[in-house]
Amino acid sequence: MDLLMHLCIIIAIYTIFALSLNVEVGYTGLFNFGHVAFFAIGAYASALLTLAGTPFVWALPVALLSAGLCGFLLSIPALKLQGDYFGIATLGFGEILRMIFNNEVWLTKGPMGLPGIPRPSLFGFAFDTLPLYLALSAAFALLTFAVLAVVVLSPFGRTLKAVRDDETAAEILGKNAYTFKIKSFVIGSVFAGLAGVLWAHYATFISPGDFTLTETILVLLIVVMGGKGTFIGPVVGAIVLIFFQESVRFLRLPLEWTRMLGPLQQMIFGLLLILLMVFRPEGIIREKGGRRGD
Amino acid sequence: MDSISYYAQTLLNGILAGCIYALFAMGLTLIYGVLNFVNFAHGELIMWGAYFLFLFMAEPFNLSLWVALLPALALTGCLGLAMEYSVFRPIRRANRLTLLIAAMGLSVLLRNAAQFFWGAEVRTYGFEIAQGTKFFGLYLTTQQFAIIGVTILCVAAVYLLFFKSRLGKSMRALSDNLDLARISGIDTKRAILTAWVLSAVLAGVGGILLALDTNLSPEMGVPNLIKAFAATLIGGVGNLWGALWGGLLIGLAENLGVLFISPGYKDGIAFVIMVLILLVRPYVILGERSD
Amino acid sequence: MKKLSALVAIIAIMFFSAVPVVRAADTVKIGAAFALSGSIAVYGEGFKKCIDLAVEEINAKGGIKGKNIEIVYEDNKSNPKDCVTAVRKLITVDKVPVIFGPAGSSNFMAVAPVAQENKIVLLSAQGAAVGLTKAGDYIFRVFPSDTLQGPHLAKLAISMGFKKLPVMYVNNDWGLGLKDAFVDAFKKMGGTVTDIIAYDEKKTDYRTELLRASKGNPPAIVNLTYINEGAVQFKQAFEMGIKTQWLCGSAARAPKMVELAGKAAEGVMGTYPSVSQNTKQYQAFKEAYKKKYGDDKIPIFGDYNYDMVYVAAKAIEKGGYTSDGIRKALPQVAKGYKGVTGDKTFDAERSPKFAEYGIWIVKDGKIEDYKK
Repeated sequence: MDLLMHLCIIIAIYTIFALSLNVEVGYTGLFNFGHVAFFAIGAYASALLTLAGTPFVWALPVALLSAGLCGFLLSIPALKLQGDYFGIATLGFGEILRMIFNNEVWLTKGPMGLPGIPRPSLFGFAFDTLPLYLALSAAFALLTFAVLAVVVLSPFGRTLKAVRDDETAAEILGKNAYTFKIKSFVIGSVFAGLAGVLWAHYATFISPGDFTLTETILVLLIVVMGGKGTFIGPVVGAIVLIFFQESVRFLRLPLEWTRMLGPLQQMIFGLLLILLMVFRPEGIIREKGGRRGD
Repeated sequence: MDSISYYAQTLLNGILAGCIYALFAMGLTLIYGVLNFVNFAHGELIMWGAYFLFLFMAEPFNLSLWVALLPALALTGCLGLAMEYSVFRPIRRANRLTLLIAAMGLSVLLRNAAQFFWGAEVRTYGFEIAQGTKFFGLYLTTQQFAIIGVTILCVAAVYLLFFKSRLGKSMRALSDNLDLARISGIDTKRAILTAWVLSAVLAGVGGILLALDTNLSPEMGVPNLIKAFAATLIGGVGNLWGALWGGLLIGLAENLGVLFISPGYKDGIAFVIMVLILLVRPYVILGERSD
Repeated sequence: MKKLSALVAIIAIMFFSAVPVVRAADTVKIGAAFALSGSIAVYGEGFKKCIDLAVEEINAKGGIKGKNIEIVYEDNKSNPKDCVTAVRKLITVDKVPVIFGPAGSSNFMAVAPVAQENKIVLLSAQGAAVGLTKAGDYIFRVFPSDTLQGPHLAKLAISMGFKKLPVMYVNNDWGLGLKDAFVDAFKKMGGTVTDIIAYDEKKTDYRTELLRASKGNPPAIVNLTYINEGAVQFKQAFEMGIKTQWLCGSAARAPKMVELAGKAAEGVMGTYPSVSQNTKQYQAFKEAYKKKYGDDKIPIFGDYNYDMVYVAAKAIEKGGYTSDGIRKALPQVAKGYKGVTGDKTFDAERSPKFAEYGIWIVKDGKIEDYKK
């Protein structure tokens, strides 16, 4: 039924989003707290292009390219920073981008957002019903999963883990950590952009308020709870968390309770994050060979 | 407002904002120095400080401002301690990412708890609205006088504590090297607790001053956390004086900056400054303890 | 594995409790996507009261062809994204042919394309933004568009002798639309706009914007603002010693604004679509409201919502319980229909054709009509 399909679509989108963050946080050990920025870039790029009449088949690659390019440009200066500082710098980037989207009304219609984003159509075939969109999202999710699985299983992926665990050692072995981190960051950004594109065309309305720190925390929670540095981890995390978040919307609660629901749900997320970090920081799916508490 | 007053008032607003940021930054850098991690939930200490005061001034307590200050700040200090005991101490030895994420989780929890109890709308302490007193052509409200006065008081108090007391000496030792301090027999436990209480109270005072000036909202913590962090970096991690100057600098930069760019980007100025500092001052990073 | 099965069990429970309860089949269902939580919940609650009153009255008289009206309320949490979800749910799960849309022009405009695409009639009782109904022919409103308000505000400024002034406005569909309408009309009447400043909603500090607007000591400032934002702005301006005549639109005209701003609101003026409360019809509405709820303070826009229910009911009665039928019937039943808020005839853009505008002023802590 419709509710189930809606849930699955959102799960598919967030799976892609989480898998992309996992490459950066889980495999490369980069604390990217601004990941939502690339989600937003993908969403806005595709929305603006398709609203201006560009066919989806062109809008999609341009959006992905934009996200990847921005990721590349950001990573060059940002990756010179260590750990926490990188985190705060990326956080700052995310917020500044949101401010730009909010203020440059001539381009993005600012806080009013972009309504009426068309459903994608490829070569005349329009994905304008729920089951079709679900098929599209699921297809992209599987594609992302496959591509990223190949990436992390390859020597490239193993190097990422080596860089994450002990950068000095990796450098001694002749690997330029810096360039590997950049590549990882760009890959993560491109797929975050893909998730954003799918989101924009599903919701048909986006505004800067959709891309805040709350979304970053949600996807971070998904990755960390699911089990960072594993394949299935982010998928599991996405299924569990999105289910919880979206299905609560449809509960038949008395009206006085619904106003409590929003903050209560977020409080549970916060609490979950804390409990996870204290008791099971490696998440549901444990990384193979990973040490407890690492 | 004529041109000279316009610029003068802007400068004044910059100083006022800077004082508040300085208080936030001092609290943040304290924990950063002593325990070597960024307390991502520091913004929520700011926000809860303001709301605790609101709590005691409203039904059923109905206390006046001065009387309500005591329990409000006391509770804020307790909140800081609670954060330490329930979250940060158990994972003290975990890796940086874990600490950061735990702090983020705490931030989300506290922010939404405030929204749960008091709603998302902007609240006010409900003081009489009065035109500011005219002061060399500028207008300063009573609250704004208080900001400057209280900041000076706090800075003096922190100075006395940090540089003229044994406890302060312990905290400074911890700041240099936690393990070494422990081995040398310094009462690390007391020093850490004091650091938390101090950090929380400074945040609370700053939050109250901010709310007196501009009203309360559950979201008031996060943007201020970023600015506090920027100020901390400018001044150098663990450096209290640096935090003070850093805060003032950010306040001035923000208010003078919007003379040239759209006010919508005001909050972004602190970020940009911070990123520039990070890129240009590598010794801020190298000066960190190796952990 | 035990943890996993517990998780699965919880998910299953949540899933099944999310299945909608089967409803009685013999009611005429109308959807309503309102702000029942979040920052503009105060509006949504007020609308609900007036709508429930209208529904009760209609049902007491036999409903629509013998069937009772039932409103299906969905909370939109005061933000556009959740508005879209709420409307989607009303369309796909509850399958209603007509929906009462959310307050907040940006919220409404986010859902208008969704309704139009699905060919569901969407009504607004409080959306003033200029382009509100342009999404398509299924979108209607019973509240006048600001294209009509702009010239009235401009006329007010000119008539008070203000030829040069800055304009501040809240950066969303409503503010932008009214700003454009005002600036156009003002310029045509010979006025000059010295500065245009957009600001975000929900901020706690507007001093930067206020300082900029007050540069050069303008005798008047046009500020197209809301209740909470306006209160903060007037208060801060007062504290900074800014002395000017504030000219506003209709959105700040609320007792709550005066309550929050205190004496800083004294003298603030503005225009608003005026509804004569002296008619017998309005008095009857007020009486009925008082009888049901105990006080006679009609919530802001509540009277428009009340009319909206009646117009929708008439359209269902005439055109049948299908969205196309309702769509075709609405202009027919609204033509010449005099609700408590006046003549509800639609114009070519499905907005009210007729609207009168009055001037309001805050005097001695109360909102009054301004008498020249």
